[in-house]
Amino acid sequence: MIGWPKIGWKGRLSLTSWILGTITLVFLAYQWLPIFTLGLLSFSGPTGGTTFPMNGTSLHWYEELWRATVMNDFKPPLVRSSLLALACSATTVVLSVMAAQAMRGQFSGNGWFFYLMLLGIMAPGILVGFGFAIMMRLMGVELSWDTTTFLVQVSWTLPFGFLTMLAVFNRFDKKVEEAALTLGASRLTTFRRITLPLVLPGVIGAGLFGFSLSYDEYARSMFTTGPDATLPLAVMAQLDRQLTPEIYAVGTTTTFFSLIAVLFFTLAFWAMRRSTSLKKSSSA
Amino acid sequence: MSTIRIRSPASYWLAVPAAAWMLGVVVVPIVLLVWVSFWGGRAFSTASPLTFDNYARFFANQTYLKLALSTIVHTATLMAVTGVLGYCIAYFLVMKVKSPGWRTVLFLAFIVPFWTSTLIRAIAWVPFLGVNGVINQTLMFVGATNSPVEAFLYSLTGITMAQVSLYTMLAAGPVVYMLNAVAPQLREAAMTLKATPFTVFRRITFPLTLPGVVIGQVLVFLNVMSDFATVATIGGNKHALLSNLVLLFYEGSQIRAASVVAVLLMICMLVGVVVALRVVDIRRLGAER
Repeated sequence: MIGWPKIGWKGRLSLTSWILGTITLVFLAYQWLPIFTLGLLSFSGPTGGTTFPMNGTSLHWYEELWRATVMNDFKPPLVRSSLLALACSATTVVLSVMAAQAMRGQFSGNGWFFYLMLLGIMAPGILVGFGFAIMMRLMGVELSWDTTTFLVQVSWTLPFGFLTMLAVFNRFDKKVEEAALTLGASRLTTFRRITLPLVLPGVIGAGLFGFSLSYDEYARSMFTTGPDATLPLAVMAQLDRQLTPEIYAVGTTTTFFSLIAVLFFTLAFWAMRRSTSLKKSSSA
Repeated sequence: MSTIRIRSPASYWLAVPAAAWMLGVVVVPIVLLVWVSFWGGRAFSTASPLTFDNYARFFANQTYLKLALSTIVHTATLMAVTGVLGYCIAYFLVMKVKSPGWRTVLFLAFIVPFWTSTLIRAIAWVPFLGVNGVINQTLMFVGATNSPVEAFLYSLTGITMAQVSLYTMLAAGPVVYMLNAVAPQLREAAMTLKATPFTVFRRITFPLTLPGVVIGQVLVFLNVMSDFATVATIGGNKHALLSNLVLLFYEGSQIRAASVVAVLLMICMLVGVVVALRVVDIRRLGAER
C-alpha cells in the first residue's frame, strides 16, 4: 500500500509552521477587511449604497455628517462621549492607584477586595446596566449621561486600571522607596517624589483603559443614559432608523478618534518610560 | 519598608472608595435584579409580594426555552471556533515567529482593533453579509453560486462570522501569556529524550498552557452570552438570543420578565465560570504571576 510520502519530523515541523502562519494571516485579513471596507465605503458617492459598487468617490457622507439635522446630529454625542471618557479616565487613574497602593498594604479582606474588582470585569454590561437602572428608578434618580452613566462606566473601567496598577506595583523595586524613607523623607513625600514618577507609565496605561473602554461602551450606557445619547447610542439609534453610508462615515470618524487617543497615550507612555530609564542610568 | 505600612488603617481607607463604588454599582444592582425577578403583582414597588410566577411563566413558554437552548448552542460553537483558531494564532506568534520586529508588527496588527469600538466593528460586517454584499458578490464572481445566498445577513451564520472576528483575540491573549511562560528547557528536555514534536506538544506544551485556554474560553463565553449588540446589528429583528430577550422585555416595560431572563443569564454564566475554575486553579495562576 502506498501511503503518504514519508516526511521527517523536521519537514512536518516546517509544514506546521506554514499551516499555522497561513491561518494567522488569513485571520488577520478576516479581522481587518471589514474595518477597511467600512472606511472605503464611507467615501462613496452621493448615490452610493451600503455596499459595493461605490458609485464614485466623494466626501458627501462626511458633509452630510457635518450639516446634520436635529435627528442625526452626531456632534453633541461625540462631545458627550469624549467628556465622559476623559472623566472616566481621570477617576479610574485616581481610584486605581489608591486601590493598588491599598493592596500593597495587605489590609484584612484584601482577597475579597480583589474578587470584588474582578467581578466588575466578569459581570456583563447588560446585567449591570439593567440592575443599576432599576436601582435608580427605585431611588427616584433621573437618568443622565453625566451622572448615572458616569457612575456605571467607572465600575467597568476601574477594574482594568486596578489590574494594570497591580501588575506595575508587582514589578516595582521597593528598595528605592526604602532608600528615600531611610533618608528621612515622609511616606507621603516618598510616594509623591519617588513612587509615583516610577509607576507613571502604568498610570498612563490605566488612563488609556479608562478612556477607551468608556468611549466605546454601549451596553451599560444604553440602560443608564437619559435623553441625551452618547456616541455609541446615537450610532445604534441611527442604524435602527436607516442604514446609509453616513453610518460608515461616523464609524470611520470614531475609529479614527479612538486610534488618535491610543496613539496619544502610547506616545506619553514611551516618553515617560524613556525619561524614567534615563534618570536611572544617569544616577547609576 | 514601603510607602504604605502593612495592615495600617491607611491601606484600608485607600481601598474604601473603589470598594464602595463596585458594591454600589455592581453588587447591589445585581442583588436587586434577583429580588425584582420574584416580584408579584403589576406595580413597580418594593411592597410587591414575592412569587415564583415570573419563572413559571418563562419555563412554560416553549419559544423562550428554544431561545435559551439556541443561545447555549451558539455560544458553544463560538467557544470551539475561537478556541482552536486562537490557539493556532497564539502558538504561531509565540513559537514560530522568531524575528522580534515581525513579532511586534503582528502583535500590533492583532491588538489595534481591540482598542476600537466593538459596535463599529460589528457594523463593519454589514456591507459584507447582505444579499448584494461583498461575500455574495465574490461568490458569484468566482462562480460558486448563480444567485446570491441569503444565509448571511439577518442569520445566525452572519452573527457567528462577525463574532469570530470580534472575540478570537480574547481566546488567544491568555494563551500567548501562558506560552511565553513555558520554559524552553522543558521542551528541550523532552526532545532530548526522543519525544516527537507532537508528543512534546501533547504532553508538555498544551498541559502547561491549559489555564490560558480555559481563561480565554471563559472570556469568550461571558462576552458571547451577553453580546446583544452584535446580534441586534447583524441579526436585525429576525434573530434574538437570551440577552436580546432582556432588552426586548425591558423596552416593553416588562421589568419582571426582563429580570427573570437576566437572572437566568447570570446563573448560566456563574455555572460556566465555576466549572472553569474547577479545571484551573486560579490561586496557582496568581502565584506564577
